[in-house]
Amino acid sequence: MTDQEIIERINSSLAEEFEYDLAAMTPETTLFEDMGLDSLDIVDLVIVLETAFGMKVREEEAIRKISTLGDIHTFVIGKKRQTEGA
Amino acid sequence: MNYDFIVIGAGISGITSAITLAQNGLRVALLEKAERTAPVLRGFSRRGVHFDTGFHYTGGLAKGEPLDIFLRYLGISDRVTTFPFNEDGFDLFRCENPGFEFRVPTGFENLRESLCQAFPAERAAIDSYLGQVRFTCATMPYLNLDAEIRNDSGLQRIFGATLRETLDALTGNEMLKSLLSMHCLLYGVPSNEVSFAQHAAIVGSYYDSVRGIRGGGLSLARAFDARLAELGVDVLCSREVAGIEVAPGGALSGLRLSDGQTLLCSAAISTVHPRILLDMAPAGSFRPAYRKRLGALEETVSAFLCFATSEDTIPALAGANRFLLPDAGCMRELGKRPIGSAALYLSGAYREGETEPRGFIGICPVLFSETAAWQSAAGRRSEGYRQYKEQALGLMQGQIERAYPDLAGKIRSIEASTPLTIRDFCSTPLGGLYGVKHMVGQYNPQPATRIPGLFLAGQAVVAPGLMGAVLSGLLACGTVLGHDQMRKELKACC
Repeated sequence: MTDQEIIERINSSLAEEFEYDLAAMTPETTLFEDMGLDSLDIVDLVIVLETAFGMKVREEEAIRKISTLGDIHTFVIGKKRQTEGA
Repeated sequence: MNYDFIVIGAGISGITSAITLAQNGLRVALLEKAERTAPVLRGFSRRGVHFDTGFHYTGGLAKGEPLDIFLRYLGISDRVTTFPFNEDGFDLFRCENPGFEFRVPTGFENLRESLCQAFPAERAAIDSYLGQVRFTCATMPYLNLDAEIRNDSGLQRIFGATLRETLDALTGNEMLKSLLSMHCLLYGVPSNEVSFAQHAAIVGSYYDSVRGIRGGGLSLARAFDARLAELGVDVLCSREVAGIEVAPGGALSGLRLSDGQTLLCSAAISTVHPRILLDMAPAGSFRPAYRKRLGALEETVSAFLCFATSEDTIPALAGANRFLLPDAGCMRELGKRPIGSAALYLSGAYREGETEPRGFIGICPVLFSETAAWQSAAGRRSEGYRQYKEQALGLMQGQIERAYPDLAGKIRSIEASTPLTIRDFCSTPLGGLYGVKHMVGQYNPQPATRIPGLFLAGQAVVAPGLMGAVLSGLLACGTVLGHDQMRKELKACC
């Protein structure tokens, strides 16, 4: 999977699962202010990513630091590369 | 009538929530679809012997321990009589192959000593395990009323290491690992799925002390009823919720019942299975991601149960349960072994007013798929289902009598229940003995929801058992009333 494909899959999954406008999504989009997510949604965010990429997320520190869509892109791409490298 | 709060489901978590809210001056109604409150806790009787289906024993109920404080806070303590289980062996662990027996004593120190005696080479592993259990319990905000409340307090229960991983890192001794995993049966999740933190929070209280309640779950249910009446809670039984009503702004405004009536309220606590909640929530009120998460929650193992009465008393089962494992590896395969060669749990059943058992309840963990062929109402009345039940009961009785000669020949009558009974009796759609399971990687719901005014409690949120259910009710009320306030009130009961 290329980085661009990963980004597209992240955006389309989140748009569907959190009912957000796909066209309005940029790396600068903030999860809390722009997308209207709150702490209740973080768990669902993790599950959406796990399902979309068939991976298990157990890094709570990394998850807690995420605040923009771009942060999610970087996190998932990094994790994907890590598994491919292993 | 306009209620401040309506609580859906009169199990232990619902009753706890209703009492707590009413004690805080709120006008509360408690809805239950069964004919009476707390049906699982109540159990049933045969030939004068009472069989507990929801409560057998608990940890943390000795004076000053968490559950004692909680029951005191709820105004229940003076209405029930508790008694200590056998301090030298509240649970008797037996592995058949290779043969090994261990009496689990109460008290961390006693347990440490007994374990070290049985496994002299494993002293370091035993100390480390017990130390980690203690530490976990001390950091749980409601188990320890002084522990710091952090937003991510629950994450260790989801992200952390499994019980199996923790034990593997400590020792290579399979029998010790098996012994320390025996209490997986108390929450129905195998050691390679449950997080160490969840396991520790549950077993830690049993390592402190183990007590039963005279008259069992039934007397606890009666005490709850009396307290609800005293507080003026409207208890409405045989009433099922069909839907949650929301105001134009999205906030909860009432509950629509299956008989067509609507009860108005400012807020509600739902204690029903999350999957059942989904059917009640208005379309669009939950995001697709949340709906999918709740809909996909896995349940604990199911079980085949037997209920036996005996002519004579069975003193050996007084205050001492038995855990039978055919081999050391079977805790990893909870539910996957066929009846007759699977793990087995036995607990005494009493006549009212007596202190020595006149029978016992046997629990054998099996998967819900065991009874897949008869899931429809018609299937349950078929000859095939009857035969399955009879054969399974025969296998279970045979296993019990072979393993425990002191029980052989004593059984006067014996009946059984299947995973389908559990599904219908406990309102768990997939027949889970303990409802939704708590395991690493599964994200169970929290008390707060996206519908303003709707909160969740129940075993799916915290843990099963008397302690888990009471805690979930307190946690939901803490979310409503403020955790600091809630803990202050609890502390006043210490």
